[in-house]
Amino acid sequence: MKKWFSILLASVLVLTLFTACGNKVETAADANKSNNGKVEGKLTIWTFFGQVEDMAKEFEKKYPDAEVEVKIFPGDQYQTKLLNVLQSGKGVPDIFDLERSYIDKFVNSNFTANLSDMGAEDLVKDYVPYVHALGRAENGDVKAISDHSSPGGFWYIKENAKKYLGTDDPEQISQMVDSWDKIIELGKKVSKESGGKVHLISSHANIYDIEAYHMKPWVKDGKLKIDPKWLELYETQKEIFNNDVDAKLDFFSAGWGNAINDGSVILTAMPAWASFMVDNKDGAAEDKFGVARTPKGWYMGGTYRSIYEKSENKDLAYKFIEFIASEEWQQHNLEATGNMPGLLSVYEKNVDTFKSEMFGDQNVLKPYYDTVKDIPATNSDKYGEEVLAKWRKVSGQGVKDNDDIKDVIKEFKKEVKNTFPELEVE
Amino acid sequence: MRNSSINKSRYGFYFVLPYFIVFLVFGLTPILFSLYLSFTKWDGFSDPVWVGLDNYARLFKDTYFFKSIGNTLIIWIMSIVPQLILALALAMILNEKFIKGKHFFRAVFYFPNIVTPVTLGVLFSLMFDWQTGSVNKFLMAIGLVDDPVYWFNSPWLSRIIVAGVIMWQYFGFNMLVFIAGLQSIPEELYEAAQVDGATKWDMATQITLPLLKPVLLFTFITSVIGGLQLFDAPLMLGNGPDNSTLTMVMYLFQTAFQQFDYSYGAAIAYAIFVIVLFFSLISMKFSNMKKVEE
Repeated sequence: MKKWFSILLASVLVLTLFTACGNKVETAADANKSNNGKVEGKLTIWTFFGQVEDMAKEFEKKYPDAEVEVKIFPGDQYQTKLLNVLQSGKGVPDIFDLERSYIDKFVNSNFTANLSDMGAEDLVKDYVPYVHALGRAENGDVKAISDHSSPGGFWYIKENAKKYLGTDDPEQISQMVDSWDKIIELGKKVSKESGGKVHLISSHANIYDIEAYHMKPWVKDGKLKIDPKWLELYETQKEIFNNDVDAKLDFFSAGWGNAINDGSVILTAMPAWASFMVDNKDGAAEDKFGVARTPKGWYMGGTYRSIYEKSENKDLAYKFIEFIASEEWQQHNLEATGNMPGLLSVYEKNVDTFKSEMFGDQNVLKPYYDTVKDIPATNSDKYGEEVLAKWRKVSGQGVKDNDDIKDVIKEFKKEVKNTFPELEVE
Repeated sequence: MRNSSINKSRYGFYFVLPYFIVFLVFGLTPILFSLYLSFTKWDGFSDPVWVGLDNYARLFKDTYFFKSIGNTLIIWIMSIVPQLILALALAMILNEKFIKGKHFFRAVFYFPNIVTPVTLGVLFSLMFDWQTGSVNKFLMAIGLVDDPVYWFNSPWLSRIIVAGVIMWQYFGFNMLVFIAGLQSIPEELYEAAQVDGATKWDMATQITLPLLKPVLLFTFITSVIGGLQLFDAPLMLGNGPDNSTLTMVMYLFQTAFQQFDYSYGAAIAYAIFVIVLFFSLISMKFSNMKKVEE
């Protein structure tokens, strides 16, 4: 073989390899900045959430000279993927979505642009307090904005509620279960009357979801603090578990999915966005469900959007953030998907009129509106979600094993100390 | 014997160059970078800060890491023993001439190996679900148990299920390796034994097993390395009660990619490397001793 040919071949192999592995480096250089008030240019958004495509479509409809490219990365590796591009600074999108469970790390980093400086305080002034608080960094700057709230409620099959609770009226049911004591008494009765086949709630773990954001922070001044209320609630959970008040179904497990549809559980604690879990094939769930309030206001999840600090497209990106924080988009989103708004004004405009096929005549915004107003506004906290997850894990096991609270606390402290050695754990 | 006429032209290096470049960029660099990271504190959001041996000192006090080593070894032993016995028994049966449809059964037993471990993990978690799982429904239908068994609330039952998933996935592969080994044993040996009046049992214990030793050792050594890296199937089944199914690589994954403690994750990775190396050397030593004995 000729020397030149072998060198050429080897070079082609190497070049091909690098071409295949390398990402197309996208710059915003070709995107025109807003000129004379005209909104134009190209935006790139990274998300894990499919509905962002509709958001982009509506934005393009409003601003025909703008183009939005949405890249969806489903699955739980999105965060790692995002962090990788942010660290390298190559191929970083102009806007990226953040999930509530890990938003704190990003909003407190230098990767996210300060939206307060861009005028975001005006965008969030009429927001549900807890929603905009989560998008703020520790210093109070708005670094991320969500277009929705995600309140939870007790969902129930009306027929089932009438049979076991004697009513399918959401207001009456809300009053019947407005405290854990009432839930325990009612649960015992349901279990007894149904011969142990039907349970009032799906899991004792509902307590974590409903109470978590009403507690004192887990970490203060570098020290682990266990709110004494958690210890009381642990005993309540044991009572729920040991008296068959709950069906012992883990959230999102196969049995839990069945229970929503077959009625073996009367009240299922569900976030407003979880309607996709309901079997509504050929309209099977139409007018089937009702929503009641839980003992306290709670929420689950939430998708926030931040602008990349070094984006060359910040003006256009901010226009997009402005759009998703607007009544126009949130009204559309409510009607199209049933996702609850982030703006209180959208709640207020729809609270007496908005209906959803699944919930028949009920004004479903009403229980959720009461709920979101009851949720304390707390800024993102570096330790909150992860320490809560450890408490859930350890105390959840303790409930199942009927352990003493002292053993649970000992094991919990061990887990926290191991994961966060920098914390002071007494 | 080495052929002195082999063309040692340097042009060949150009063809192997891409591999070495790829290894350098995507293999060696991350390995060395991980080593550097293991001496730092880094969460991915700011620059790494040099902390020397702090991560390794933390590792020596980390009871969860030691527990994950124990779990890995327990699960590996619980999976490898039945796996090899089943694979060997099936290989010997399916190597017999009189078995009809043996090619079909070889393919069927190999099937679990082509299913991804993640899928198997999900499948088993659904099968062993406390309330809706088919296993409990079956056991209750035949009257073996009155109440559903809470499989994943028991450390040992959880470990048995994880070991079962791994056993089920790999027994078919090992069976094929054993069949290949069995087919390399000369037929004349069996014929001679038959003439001498040996029974099937005699032939199995006196001819088959001794001649299959190298293959057995191969599967044993590869399973040591694979077993110590148990990850995807147990991950799908969760940490188990009291972290009873938390394996070493799961712990590494959770530390580095769920808690984003990259630097401590790197230290765990190096510790796992040392552990795998240690057990691999023991296995190799063991196999060399056997050769000497032969």
